[in-house]
Amino acid sequence: MTATLDLPRRWRLPVWGTCLVIAIAAELIYFTLTTRQFAGHGTGMLDLTEQFAPTGVLALGLAMVILTGNIDLSCGASASLAAVTAGTVLAKGGGPVLAIVAAVAVSTLFGLFNGLIVAFVGIDSLLVTLATQFIVTSIATSVAGASPPFGFPSAFTLIGQGSVNDIPIALLVFLVIGLLVIAAVGYTGLGRSLTLIGYSPRAALYSGIAIRSSLTAVFTLCGAMSGVAGVLLAAYYNSAQPQIGTDLLLPAITAVILGGMDIFGGRGRIAEVVLAVFLLGFLSQGMLIEGDSSLSITMITGLVLIGALVIKFAFERNFRQRMSARMHRFRTLSRDAHG
Amino acid sequence: MPPRWAQLLRRREILVTAVIIIVVAGSTASHPYFWASGNLAFIFADSVVITFLALGESFVMIGRGIDLSVGAAMGLSAIVVGFRIQNHGMTLLPAVLLGAGLGVALGLGNALLVGVVRLPPIIATLGTLSVYSGLEFVVTNGNQVDTIPSSITNLGSHTVLPGVPVILLLTLPFVLLSAWVLRYTAFGRSIYAVGDDAEAAYRAGIGVQRVVFLTYVISGLFAGLGGVAFLIYTSGASSTTGINDNLTAIAAAIIGGTALTGGVGGAFGALVGSVFLTVTLTAMSFAHVSDVWQPAGVGVLVLLAVVYDSRSRAGGTRRSPRRQRGAR
Repeated sequence: MTATLDLPRRWRLPVWGTCLVIAIAAELIYFTLTTRQFAGHGTGMLDLTEQFAPTGVLALGLAMVILTGNIDLSCGASASLAAVTAGTVLAKGGGPVLAIVAAVAVSTLFGLFNGLIVAFVGIDSLLVTLATQFIVTSIATSVAGASPPFGFPSAFTLIGQGSVNDIPIALLVFLVIGLLVIAAVGYTGLGRSLTLIGYSPRAALYSGIAIRSSLTAVFTLCGAMSGVAGVLLAAYYNSAQPQIGTDLLLPAITAVILGGMDIFGGRGRIAEVVLAVFLLGFLSQGMLIEGDSSLSITMITGLVLIGALVIKFAFERNFRQRMSARMHRFRTLSRDAHG
Repeated sequence: MPPRWAQLLRRREILVTAVIIIVVAGSTASHPYFWASGNLAFIFADSVVITFLALGESFVMIGRGIDLSVGAAMGLSAIVVGFRIQNHGMTLLPAVLLGAGLGVALGLGNALLVGVVRLPPIIATLGTLSVYSGLEFVVTNGNQVDTIPSSITNLGSHTVLPGVPVILLLTLPFVLLSAWVLRYTAFGRSIYAVGDDAEAAYRAGIGVQRVVFLTYVISGLFAGLGGVAFLIYTSGASSTTGINDNLTAIAAAIIGGTALTGGVGGAFGALVGSVFLTVTLTAMSFAHVSDVWQPAGVGVLVLLAVVYDSRSRAGGTRRSPRRQRGAR
């Protein structure tokens, strides 16, 4: 007897995403009630997003790399290099467009370099990017020189500080890139390859997916996004310190992980990473306004990360057990039907 | 069968030692001061802190884990112990015990998250890295440790033989002890087994979670001791101490032949790797390379070590196809 399985196909609410939205709402309400400056006539909250938009862009690039089961430790340093490059071009009298193109080009090339080593030499990405992170830090420090460039023309700083109808341009950049990444990962062949490579490299190999070129592409994309993050940073701070992006590496990884991305690859939603960026960003900005120092915020961020993951892992393990129990029941049923 | 000397060079500790000798000889040839007692003592003392961190990191990495928080744990230990010494006149032995105890406590944090809650190690230690470096700031509260009595700092500057500081001799027993544990005890062997193949180790009756748990405690212990060594060597500590040492410790362990993929490595590798890093960086500054390029030096060395690994060991997760090709 062949039973046609009628599996339920209703759309399910993403549990983790819902949790993140609730957490963001709770956080915004809390800070609005406790701190008057936080909401500031309604636009204050939007202005705060300028601060963490660069971290968000970095996190988006990183999320794609982590989706394949790899990691890019060098993306923060790469953002520094981009910021310093943009600053140097501007200081030498180049226009804002030239500066942006040069900055993004430099870090894209650097991402390509990472990707080529990871994909074609076959070394673990953690090791490769650990090494290239050191190298690119040196290059950025060297390019910046003894007195890093600062004081850029307003046409350039507008990217980081300006706004259109009260919506900061940096936020718009982050959201547009976010939508693009969501579309790329969810609805293109490349995105599907990335997910499958992360889920099972062997299955990807046997299904004829071009693993090497996909990996190279994802590292290159991550490099390009580090470049955008670097430009946003330089424009926001109106200066290009060589450490400017390196400090964003840990917050970016934290956002990706908190966004429910599986560190071993193959599972996760980009949209939830975007939500996690807002959650962490508003958390740190709210605490800064309340007068906490940036390092104790680091500590709270770490605690939030650990706490969230402990809950998530406990929940998932529970879920998996229930699922396997259900599968077991199903198998017994079908065996009975056959036998 | 390759000749005997070539076989010896296959062993990473010996290969790296040979390269160290070449670097030292080359630098001495161009700058005679490089061989001076003061400079050698400086190099050794400089590498002691990273040696401690890399030792702990080796235990974790051999068991196929990673501990990103060693630098922050080291800094936290240096600060807490440093304040006790500075404000309460603590002597050396209690200071070492306090540092070790604190390190064990911090390591327990990682051990619980990885060994009991079973979070992926890179995430768990990333979280504790944030927490510990935040704690460093909270504990210092804007102050810093800057007056360590000379009775303690002398250990870092005085030498027993020309060029060999006391602190190096104090470090060696820990290296030897770790080497003994890793090589000759059942616990040490089970770390390799877990790192090589946790499933096989489990089926062979090894308490995998217990072994993993203990490696993180050991890593914390060495980070705590490293904090005391840091105080002895630099005679001060601030809220940013050790923030940049996490990755350097991993780099030293990798150069010393410990693989991130687990099951390979040893205690001497940690010592040799960190001495090699310090010697090379010092040689670079002797060759008038700007300090700016020091991180790049570390990066290039790690890349070289890793590429060498993938050639000689067919390492990494893509082990099988290459090994077949190499074995023939």
